[in-house]
Amino acid sequence: MRKRANPIIVCRCEDVTLDEVEKILEKGYRDLESIKRLLRVGMGPCQGRTCIPLLIRLLARRLKKDPEELLIPPSRPPLTPIPIRLFVEDEKRAED
Amino acid sequence: MLKTDVVIIGGGISGISTAFWLIKRGIKNVVVVEKAYIGSGSTFKCATGIRASFTSEEHVVLMRESINLWKALSQELGFSYMRGGYVWLLSNEDQLKAFRELSRIHNSFGVPTRIISVEDVEKLVSKIDTRSILCALYDPLAGKADPFEALYSMAGFLRSAGVRILQQVEATRILQNGPQVVGVETTKGIIQGPIVVVAAGYETRGLVKTVDVDLPLKNVPHHAVITEAYKRAFDPLLVDAASGSYLVQTFHGGFIMGTEIEEREEAQPTPRVDFLYKVASVWIKYLPWLRNVNFLRYWVGYYVMSPDNHPIIGPLPEIDGLYVAAGFSGHGFMMGPIVGKILAEWIIDGKPSIPQAARLSYKRIEEGKLIHEKAVIG
Repeated sequence: MRKRANPIIVCRCEDVTLDEVEKILEKGYRDLESIKRLLRVGMGPCQGRTCIPLLIRLLARRLKKDPEELLIPPSRPPLTPIPIRLFVEDEKRAED
Repeated sequence: MLKTDVVIIGGGISGISTAFWLIKRGIKNVVVVEKAYIGSGSTFKCATGIRASFTSEEHVVLMRESINLWKALSQELGFSYMRGGYVWLLSNEDQLKAFRELSRIHNSFGVPTRIISVEDVEKLVSKIDTRSILCALYDPLAGKADPFEALYSMAGFLRSAGVRILQQVEATRILQNGPQVVGVETTKGIIQGPIVVVAAGYETRGLVKTVDVDLPLKNVPHHAVITEAYKRAFDPLLVDAASGSYLVQTFHGGFIMGTEIEEREEAQPTPRVDFLYKVASVWIKYLPWLRNVNFLRYWVGYYVMSPDNHPIIGPLPEIDGLYVAAGFSGHGFMMGPIVGKILAEWIIDGKPSIPQAARLSYKRIEEGKLIHEKAVIG
């Protein structure tokens, strides 16, 4: 496998490079749900806002597949990180 | 048409572990069929905890054996596993009395749990607020594993051994010829084989219905949330005995939390804000610094409940060659290694080497000899 002199970052939260994604493809994995859990792409604070659309495009083109076949990870709440104190009644009132 | 010796339906920890032990025992032709991606059912939605502090002999003994295998497997395959223990926080005399009795049962089956003092809890869990607790039950044998690393490393082993793991292929029907299983019908054609193992979570029920067996399984949603990653704070998994809540720090650093909230069986897995309020109030009481930690991701999985909170593992009577592993009632991940070994023994030797494992076959359901488990948390 060729290794780029200047790594191309796919996922900024978890510091995942395109080389790492390509290595996983070589192992035979063909879906985003598995790539997510093998490399942690999309599991950081931005929850995949940048990396998942990038990977959908990359994989759809390279594997000649429809995006649905790539098993796109669902968006999970709360979508953006929220402090736990906002879920404690008396503290929430104090902040309000 | 694909022909093999053993077809395994379900690419979760139970199915993958069964394939692993079959290969170790010398069976060469094994095919795993997974309808989505491996781990996509309960395995990758689990809370990662592994314990033997249960209330039935069957669970205590089998989980103890599973824990031995977890250690050996993690060393062989190189995934993250740690015996960081479980700390069951007890807040009143009634709980203490009940857990003292439980500890006696654990000890009698070789699981060294013990009641520990508030000072001991403070040593194990840095910066915990212990004002609301009386003492705790400590289970030093318990721990946690990384479910992604564990399953992917086992699957990697299987691929190098020539096992075909078919993903995005759904099993639709079990095929029989008289009393003998002959294969599985899938969305990508028929796979022939004289032995079929169904380890497909709740969907095990629908699959064995195609050969007229009705497994009494119920699918109940359970909720979990993880925080952003922090450096290692403490090793044990904490359980609040009063509310049935847990908290554990993953190897990556996020804290996973869960708690019991009322759910209807078969309900859609819908996120609920009341879950976040409850789980936050329980854990902020013990760990005040959590106030400033962020919730990152919330997911809902299922506990596939059996009538007695024990899995159904083993052959189905009257149909030769058909085996199941389902109904783990929230404990499938931790039990995975021993489940695969038990099924491989049923298939190759005709019975498992551990007598307690034989008692968990479907026969107990047919005969109405249920074995009850009370310690289901989260």
